[in-house]
Amino acid sequence: MKIETAAVVGAGVMGAGIAAHLANAGVSVLLLDIVPEGVQDRNALAAGAVAKMLKTDPAPFMTRRAAKLVTPGNLEDDLDKLANVDWIVEVIIEDLALKHDLYKQIDAVRKKGSVVSSNTSTLPLAKLVEGQSARFAEDFLITHFFNPPRYMRLLEIIAGEKTRPEALECLRDFADRRLGKGVVLCHDTPGFVANRIGSFWMQSAINEARDLGLTVEEADAVMGRPVGVPKTGVFGLLDLVGLDLIPKVDASLAANLAPDDAYQALRRPWPLFEKMIKDGYTGRKGKGGFYRLNTEGGQRVKEAIDLGSGAYAPAGKAAMESLDAAKAGGLKALVAHQDKGGQYAWNVLSQTLAYAASLVPEIVERVPDVDRALQFGYAWKYGPFELIDRLGAADFAERLEAEGREVPALLAKAAEAGGFYRVHEQKQQYLGTDGAYADVPREDGVLLLADVKLAGEPLARNGSASLWDIGDQVACLEFHTKLNTVDPDTVAMVEKTVRTVSGGDYKALVIYNEASHFSAGANLGLALFAANVGMWPMIEGMVEGGQKALRSLKHAPFPVVAAPSGLALGGGCEFLLNSDAVQAHAESYIGLVEAGVGLVPGWGGCTELLARLAADPRRPRGPMPPVATAFETIGMAKVAKSAFEGKEMGFLKDTDDITFNRERLLADAKARALELAEDYQAPEPLELTLPGPSGKTALDFAVRDLRAKGVATPHDETVAGALAEVLSGGPAADMTEPVAEKDLLALERAAFMRLVKTGPTLARMEHTVETGKPLRN
Amino acid sequence: MHKNVVIAGYARSPFHFAAKGELTKVRPDEMAAQVVRGLLERTKVDPAAIEDLIVGCAMPEGEQGLNVARLIGFLADLPLEVGGMTVNRFCGSSMNAMHIAAGQIQMDAGEAFICAGVESMTRIPMGGYNPLLHPGLAERYPQAYMSMGETAENVAAKYDIPRARQEELAVESQRKAAAAREAGKLADEIVAIRQGNHTVDQDGCIRPDTTAEALAGLNPAFKTDGTVTAGTASPLTDGAAATLVTSEDFAKANDLEVLARIRSIAVAGCAPEIMGMGPVAASKKALERAGLEIGDMEVIELNEAFAAQALACVDQLGLDLARVNLDGGAIALGHPLGATGARITGKAAQLLKREGKQFALASQCIGGGQGIATVLEAV
Repeated sequence: MKIETAAVVGAGVMGAGIAAHLANAGVSVLLLDIVPEGVQDRNALAAGAVAKMLKTDPAPFMTRRAAKLVTPGNLEDDLDKLANVDWIVEVIIEDLALKHDLYKQIDAVRKKGSVVSSNTSTLPLAKLVEGQSARFAEDFLITHFFNPPRYMRLLEIIAGEKTRPEALECLRDFADRRLGKGVVLCHDTPGFVANRIGSFWMQSAINEARDLGLTVEEADAVMGRPVGVPKTGVFGLLDLVGLDLIPKVDASLAANLAPDDAYQALRRPWPLFEKMIKDGYTGRKGKGGFYRLNTEGGQRVKEAIDLGSGAYAPAGKAAMESLDAAKAGGLKALVAHQDKGGQYAWNVLSQTLAYAASLVPEIVERVPDVDRALQFGYAWKYGPFELIDRLGAADFAERLEAEGREVPALLAKAAEAGGFYRVHEQKQQYLGTDGAYADVPREDGVLLLADVKLAGEPLARNGSASLWDIGDQVACLEFHTKLNTVDPDTVAMVEKTVRTVSGGDYKALVIYNEASHFSAGANLGLALFAANVGMWPMIEGMVEGGQKALRSLKHAPFPVVAAPSGLALGGGCEFLLNSDAVQAHAESYIGLVEAGVGLVPGWGGCTELLARLAADPRRPRGPMPPVATAFETIGMAKVAKSAFEGKEMGFLKDTDDITFNRERLLADAKARALELAEDYQAPEPLELTLPGPSGKTALDFAVRDLRAKGVATPHDETVAGALAEVLSGGPAADMTEPVAEKDLLALERAAFMRLVKTGPTLARMEHTVETGKPLRN
Repeated sequence: MHKNVVIAGYARSPFHFAAKGELTKVRPDEMAAQVVRGLLERTKVDPAAIEDLIVGCAMPEGEQGLNVARLIGFLADLPLEVGGMTVNRFCGSSMNAMHIAAGQIQMDAGEAFICAGVESMTRIPMGGYNPLLHPGLAERYPQAYMSMGETAENVAAKYDIPRARQEELAVESQRKAAAAREAGKLADEIVAIRQGNHTVDQDGCIRPDTTAEALAGLNPAFKTDGTVTAGTASPLTDGAAATLVTSEDFAKANDLEVLARIRSIAVAGCAPEIMGMGPVAASKKALERAGLEIGDMEVIELNEAFAAQALACVDQLGLDLARVNLDGGAIALGHPLGATGARITGKAAQLLKREGKQFALASQCIGGGQGIATVLEAV
């Protein structure tokens, strides 16, 4: 059974988002909702949801084309179409009777062997299948997505006692490979895993902030970055998810959890919270929440609420000794500190982590599953058990005991064994509930550089990059600077890589790393420093050195596959453009953004993008179309917001592949590299037919109009002029004589050097280095 | 050998916004062929009597390249003996197609011509796919390549056309077009365009709800401190138009419904940076050749490339606005470059008959600095 078609019933935010993500994966989706009253279009709810998603940022769709795979419909006219789909996802309101009715309708029409799942976050599976046919119960599961479905990696899957193992395996595999989800198989317990622990954590964080008298800003400053949680902390997170959601989750947990569950003790009424919801202060989607943007008087002032009085005042930056201590001494120093920030961290974390330790194996089989659930579902950097290990399991248990608190059995085992995780015989292991360690499980086809690193030493290493042997005669070049910016050490490692891999022991190279971002581009700070002291030869050396290194990669006698995830910008993008193939994570953000800092791509970016666009048979013929498109893409520093958009914009070739699951990226890239290694021949240097000055003149006029419109700034015009000169092939180019790759690269260098010596470009670089934002001068 | 030349038929496609309207998926050659076929059906002219199909197009490349007139002839099932010629005078292209036909008729080189025009501004971008400018000319005389929006701003400044007046004209144009459509006055001229199962039989550019207040809120479209906005410029448009031009004798002999007689024609150049003023010199020339005064013109079709240039021409020629663009102009209806000349000339002929007037003037400005004009008289 393969899933190629699906239906989502319920076109609310979650249902529509799930439909969009299925479409991203290339699945055609029927999106159904009820027929609203008094509306002409009977599919208005579903059609409206799709239209709205096309305007949502961050975008639920990876490309506008994916939206065409979603067919809007309604539950009255289109129910019989459910007979054609392989998977039906129910995403309607949390009302058991309504769900039961719907399931009966679905069951009457769906085809044999199709799978049905519910996205419920509160109702137990056992209750959902009550009164349904035996056949239905066999094909039924819970698939619990997190919001927004495209971006949140966690998918909790719950199978019932009667669920067919094949149905479970089919969905699990589909969610893992096609949707790219981190699947956690949960037991059928209230709140499943992530929300069970996450809700407890939030409730505890609210209570303690009130009891200890912390401001909203202080609480979030502690419960954010220092703990490895997104900087929204708890109150910012509540604003994000919507305050009105909380009472619903709370009521359901309270109703379904045992009376002696620790969560019950945390519950207490909070009039301010209830009043905020009643008055429409439901968070970012409402008038504001714990924070709000006050735009009275024309200025945007971020304000925070006083947890006592409920009055808003301009938000301040939290300053506490414990925060400074955390910067130096990490999490241990934070919870050891005696000020209210330190107490807050300890109280919330100790309650939450102890609670988590008490729940395995009740809610899920294994410790790593809990950690993955919180990492993928709440974007925690470390899961609860990893946090305990960071505090020291023994120290943690000891302090609990000293405070007269209960030590969960599993925690006691970990305290004795030395932690929940260990590295043993070059493999990562976790502590089982039996007190024995076992290897952290990896799905078939998952290859992690982190695992490779545990198993041995790099072939070569410097401060910025390393070269690893990832087996089967494939080497892997890893960047490891901040944001993986490229500096002279990176370039040196590229040169060493080419020598090493050419040496005969290796067949192919993969460029890959496991940071959040493949590479944000060249190290701007370094270039700025050199420019400020007028070391022009050094800058020219950096440009030329980078070009040379990337050219040596491109023309090396072995195939190179780049495997980006996250940002691949500027110089990072040029690594992709100079590779033989790209195996891109679907969530790749690709662009040549040099113009933003007043420069042009200098490591072959202009040349390679032109070549890709010129080779695309779908674009109009003649010397100008590739030039005009590259000019717009580079000149406006456009960034592809998915690998699919990367293909549409010409950064990736049609033959490049896309991987949805981050953990499968390296294995896929390696397989592609080995495929290319059969009979590999390095590409010949490029030759491009370009328009020369006639084309440049046309581009100059276009920029002049943008300038008149006020769209382009004076320096934009200068940068665009330099870019036009490169892309049109330079003053000597003519459409009768192709321009050679080396001449284009020389043009890139010349334009780069001309621009980097201008005041406005230096001002842009300085502004971006200091603020991270572009300067429009 | 002087012969009278008449317009004996006019038809056009619905006009729709480029890139977002309902004709974006229709090839321009196909669209023009459907209009030509519609014209043949409505006029009932014998196709075998047609000498030539002359098609105006401002960007004759891609789907409207390769001498598209010949291809339109094949698509419209014209007899193989009928010729096909594409002409380009930018926005003046299809009015010029009619002028060529008139000249040929007068020199006895044919009795009946189909003079059409087409532009898909969706499928072939303004400026074409391969704009390759002469660097020397651009350096020495950049006006040659100046954008149309900038020329409109120049005209507004030089002839002192304030923004409010431009917006007033735009609101009027929209109101007249909407009223004409409402009253069914546009139905006669429109040939429905079929694309697969889909039929488009209504104009798509008209915005009946346009108000002066809404227009006043728009940002300048071409120049930060300018006065021209998207609301006072004609939109990028997909559309086609066609006219039947014959000798008067031929029309009578074949029982055709004559709309108007062509009295005189003219083209004139002007400075490219104020190309919108082209109609002034062209109209004056045509009137002089006709031996008529501007006051004799009771029906006037003046293309609204931009409200600014249309008003400046109105002022310079001393036109009575009440006689101009009775069913709305290009700001409301749209301006598919190559098709507009046939539309306004055919429309002027049709209005002359409908309104029972004696003389009409059709004129338009042309990028690069030109104007073109046609004077018509009732038969």
